[in-house]
Amino acid sequence: MDKDSVLSRRLVVVAILAIAMVILPSVTSLPTGVDYGLVQDGCNCHSTAASDSVTASIDGVPESYNKSETYTLTVSFTGGPGTEGNENVGGFNLWTSAGTLTSLDSSTQLNSPQDATHAEEGNNQRSWTLEWTAPDNNESNIEFILHTNSVNGDGSASSADMWNRAEATAFGFGSEPLEDADPFKVLATLIVVSLVLLSIVVLYVFYRNNPDGFEWDRFAPWIIEWLTSTDHKKIGTLYFVQGLFFLGVGGIMAMMIRVQLSSPGNDFISQDYYNQFFTLHGTTMIFLAAMPLIAGFANWIVPLQIGAPDLAFPRLNALSFWLQPVAALLIFTGVFSGAGADTGWTGYAPYVVTETAHAGVSMWAAGQIMLVASSTLTGINFLTTIAVMRAPGMGWFQMPLFTWSILVANVMLFLSIPAFGVGLIQVLLDRTIGTAFYDVAAGGDPLLWSHLFWYFGHPEVYVVIVPAFGVISEVIATSARRSIFGYKSMVYAMAGIGLVSFIVYGHHMFTSGMSPTLRFVTMLTTMLVAVPTGIKIFNWLKTMHGGSLVYRTHTLWTLGFLVTFTLGGISGMFFPSMGMDVHLHETYFVVAHFHYVLVGGTIFGFYAAIYYWYPKMTGRMLDEKLGVLHFLTGFISYNAVFWPMHRLGVVGMIRRTHTYYITTDDFQALPEWAADWNMMISVSAFLFFASNLFLVANMIKSLIRGEKAPADPWGGWSFEWMTSSPPPTPSFDPNDIPTLKDANEHVANEPGKIGKWFQRLMVADDTAEEGSH
Amino acid sequence: MAGVTPLYDAIWEDYIIWSLFVGAIAFGWLYHHSFFYRSKDGESPNVDNLEVGVFPIDYDNLRLEVAWVILPSLLIVWLTYISWAPLDAVWSQTGPDGYHGSECAEGESSDNYVDDDGYVYSACYHEISIVGQQWFWNMDCEDLSEDLCSTDFSTSGGETRPLLNLKVGETYLARLTSTDVTHAPKFNGFGMMEDIVPGQVTFLWLPAIEEGDSLMLCAEFCGDNHAYMTAQVNVSG
Amino acid sequence: MSDSYGHDEHHPSPWGPHDWDQGAPHNSFAPIILAIGVGIFLLMFGGLFAFGEYDPSYLPMVFVGLAVIASAFIVWWRQDMSFDGTYEPRGRGVPFKNIQIRKVGVWVFLMSEMMIFTSLFSTYMRYRLGIPRCDTVFESGDWVEGVAVNCYEPASQLIASSWWHIAPGAINTFALIISSFTIVQALRWAHKPEGSVDEEVRRKRVYRYLGATWCLAVLFLTLKMVEWFIGFHVPEIGFLGIHEHEIHSLYSEGYLINNDQYQSHNYIDEATGAHMMANIRVSATMFYVTTGTHGAHVLGGIVGLTYLTYKAWTGAYKPQSAVSIEYFGLYWHFVDLVWVLVFPFFYLY
Repeated sequence: MDKDSVLSRRLVVVAILAIAMVILPSVTSLPTGVDYGLVQDGCNCHSTAASDSVTASIDGVPESYNKSETYTLTVSFTGGPGTEGNENVGGFNLWTSAGTLTSLDSSTQLNSPQDATHAEEGNNQRSWTLEWTAPDNNESNIEFILHTNSVNGDGSASSADMWNRAEATAFGFGSEPLEDADPFKVLATLIVVSLVLLSIVVLYVFYRNNPDGFEWDRFAPWIIEWLTSTDHKKIGTLYFVQGLFFLGVGGIMAMMIRVQLSSPGNDFISQDYYNQFFTLHGTTMIFLAAMPLIAGFANWIVPLQIGAPDLAFPRLNALSFWLQPVAALLIFTGVFSGAGADTGWTGYAPYVVTETAHAGVSMWAAGQIMLVASSTLTGINFLTTIAVMRAPGMGWFQMPLFTWSILVANVMLFLSIPAFGVGLIQVLLDRTIGTAFYDVAAGGDPLLWSHLFWYFGHPEVYVVIVPAFGVISEVIATSARRSIFGYKSMVYAMAGIGLVSFIVYGHHMFTSGMSPTLRFVTMLTTMLVAVPTGIKIFNWLKTMHGGSLVYRTHTLWTLGFLVTFTLGGISGMFFPSMGMDVHLHETYFVVAHFHYVLVGGTIFGFYAAIYYWYPKMTGRMLDEKLGVLHFLTGFISYNAVFWPMHRLGVVGMIRRTHTYYITTDDFQALPEWAADWNMMISVSAFLFFASNLFLVANMIKSLIRGEKAPADPWGGWSFEWMTSSPPPTPSFDPNDIPTLKDANEHVANEPGKIGKWFQRLMVADDTAEEGSH
Repeated sequence: MAGVTPLYDAIWEDYIIWSLFVGAIAFGWLYHHSFFYRSKDGESPNVDNLEVGVFPIDYDNLRLEVAWVILPSLLIVWLTYISWAPLDAVWSQTGPDGYHGSECAEGESSDNYVDDDGYVYSACYHEISIVGQQWFWNMDCEDLSEDLCSTDFSTSGGETRPLLNLKVGETYLARLTSTDVTHAPKFNGFGMMEDIVPGQVTFLWLPAIEEGDSLMLCAEFCGDNHAYMTAQVNVSG
Repeated sequence: MSDSYGHDEHHPSPWGPHDWDQGAPHNSFAPIILAIGVGIFLLMFGGLFAFGEYDPSYLPMVFVGLAVIASAFIVWWRQDMSFDGTYEPRGRGVPFKNIQIRKVGVWVFLMSEMMIFTSLFSTYMRYRLGIPRCDTVFESGDWVEGVAVNCYEPASQLIASSWWHIAPGAINTFALIISSFTIVQALRWAHKPEGSVDEEVRRKRVYRYLGATWCLAVLFLTLKMVEWFIGFHVPEIGFLGIHEHEIHSLYSEGYLINNDQYQSHNYIDEATGAHMMANIRVSATMFYVTTGTHGAHVLGGIVGLTYLTYKAWTGAYKPQSAVSIEYFGLYWHFVDLVWVLVFPFFYLY
């Protein structure tokens, strides 16, 4: 084809298009009806904005429609310039989202089954009648949108015409207003999804490690081994897995709390759910995360450090562990039906025994009773093991400091937790058989619960921090390639902390009407706890002096611990001072303090422990780069979360509340910036949560293709570094326990006077020879 | 700092100074050693000859250890000392030996004032009662005159809450009781709070030393509507 | 599950029985089953009772929980039954060389038990001293008929009111003391060196003494139930001057944990005939829960004694393995000691 023909064809096409574009609007602007497509944003053929003078209405739309039924609709308008006798009075467009419109007479016409408008003959009416037939399923709601136009009759489409619109909805049977997502269903979904992902990852790790061994026949013996083992190493691993899992669950709950608090007046979750979330966050983190992590390391490392083949009572040890997951199930029972415990982890009476508190409180108490039993048995086991199963040459003052810390923690635990158990039994009985321990009307005393709880509760928080102290001692000494400074005073400091912790619990009850003398005594003793703690911190610092600090991830976490725990300790000193406690009690200052010591203390300590002992436990080295990344992101985001809370507490933000009040014109409350700070904290919290994924990734990566670990990668001195990585089972040959040598010129370990007396008392004379197997 | 007692301000500054002091020592020490004593060029000389299976050599210094037992103890004794008198002030007893005298007679005014150390003194006090209930506050001016104390309701931000009107310069002793579970009124404008335990009567001093409207919140978890159990306190001339 | 130190290949079953020559069991199903059983029991207990309301539809599942617990004990005992003392773990190192580890464990366990009873006693002291006694309130006249007054009614008001009333408690006290004696006797016979006594005689003596202990413990609980719920009838014995009368149980006297309208025959004003109504829930709670906790420990002892008696009947207790009886004896003496404290404080005072 020659150029001219092409050109001319194109010109023709363009011309046709141009004409069509020009014509089109006028076609539809004819008084022969309008198309819904044109009226959607307003009837701009006549004027641009709707007018209040015109009232459009649709009659006959049913409230809720039946399938395939036909309804008669009348669309009409009043007002505007359209009056009788004009050439054109008005027009309309009716659009429906589903169903079929039917024209009844020549005054209306259809653009489509869902789009009806006036016909030329109907251009001079103010109301029209049509039929609408419902679709054959009535699940969804049907929308009707009506535009009506009141025409002034001058024959042209102008802004003198006025239009307006109306809407109507016909509800379907199956449809109800969309429910809010149930936070617990969300939580349950998140937990289940994480479990599934975790299982897949674990299975993958096993597969990669040994594709041939990955067979069904080997599965049954393998799972039975794990369910029935009494070996301290396996039980330690079980505790560890449980602890890490619940650390994640507790973290998810914390995220939900933080989203709720990110802005004032937020309604992300209802207050009912919020109350359950903060209760379970506390209980989960302390009892199902922190304590099992400690027990995990204690189980793994203590027998290795003292040269024992296993713990004193292996089956009881297994029982201690298995009570925990079953207890977790009990504690979480009410949760997924929205009736979980909502009393705060401290469960204050009398609210805890009222019927207003949710049904889940009873099982929350029952589950914790099981945990009390578990902890008591653990305490007995460890005390016995450490007392009587140490290797030759290892006197009390030759034990590694981690073992000492576990000893002190366990003694504190089994002396304090039975009181908590009794309190819980009282609460459970009050809520089940109807006893009257905390029934105020019958003379019950709520403060009794406070006493029983805090008599346990305060030693408990030292129970969770003292093992972290032990870890720090080990790591810092090994990293600095020095002996720990002041070993004896470290031991006395830990024992001192343990002892004093029993007499300071009153500081949780300062505002409950205590007598002045008791207030003073408690104030003094609480402040005194800082002395042994301070001794430990100074000793750790002095240990580094003259040393040769090797920087590994565990070293970083240890130094991080020294920063955050010191800060937490300093902020703790503000509370015993009464003049300040009345202001700071139950505020975010408290939340900041205990998160600094619990997360910045215990958790950072246990991150250090993970990086330190993981090679021993699994036989693989962790990746240092990922470790440093974990530390940097974790440490920074953690401080961004909890440091601002100090200030928020000082300006009066109280804890355990679903929302907070900002100063308005009517009253003074929190300053404006409190809202922004809360948002910042919430965002940082998500970052902190995410940073822990580096640790998970590191562990997984190391299991699959980590470098094989030697027996003593860091150069430690205690017995665990003598065994292979991982150690065999039993950990030491019972017939060939190593003897601890001593670099100091100590007298060979003869028992002192008390030891001799004790030996005469407890050991029968006729069994003087070696009797152990 | 608004919303705290003058006493709090006074102690707070002392504490902050000591905290900074202790923090400087601890962190300065930490940073110094972390850099100065790090291992050089990747080698890690075994300073104390740590060997597996051998209990390491003693490393201690009695003088230093005694020093850092004694010095922190002294600091603590000092901090306890400066906190002691405030203890008496916060829970002052009634009567001539207390900070707020005895109950005011008809027409008598508290005339409270704050001394330089932050202690509030009053000539006498007025008694009011606050009853905590799930989930609202019942404040009762008892037999005080209108200008001294009155109760009302105020609506703000879509919420209606009880309103307590107090007079500046007057000191009030709130008698706190509960009809059901534990509550705790926290007066943000006064910087004070006290628990209410059912079955007991507790007391809280409210010296109105500054004019203003502030919020009173419930600071002991008491159930579903705990966060919204608020009241407004208006101190005016 | 062989280990790496050259011991024989052996695979003791995690269900028991266990070969103790190789040391303590490395695998056992008992712990996980026990944990699950306790969980089921507590879960169903929470359904069985709720704020004093009893819902019997949960009762079967409560028994299922108890059955699971029982089966866990059976697995545990199956593993323990073959224990004959050749492997008795002893302490190493200073200063506890050769100490029996299990003995240390029992003593430490008893320390924690002491903490439990101390907490219960503290609760008792707080309420007993903090709430005025009902007889004091009655005599002061500070009450109105028809309005229940909160006061502390010690159980001794009912139980110590007559010799017959206190009889079950007194018999119980003697029963426990004698049972502590019988268990020591069982231990003594088990300890007698080989050759100094005929084995059949030893076997009979040991299991009979253990059986006697068991019977005394069961008697204790039975009399407790009589005292609490059943009551008994005293017949007329003319020549001893004993009149026929009924000794009412605490239950029939209305001494119950949910009774807030308690009316005792002791509190009728002679002059006006007005009958004081008291809310005695706290005192009843203290009594039943404390003595009940002690009773639960006796029940635990009975469970242990069942195992011990059966094992003794098979003749397994010889000088080498007799020490297991000693460990139980320690626990049993502790239970006895607690009773010696509970009895005067709750029954007599």
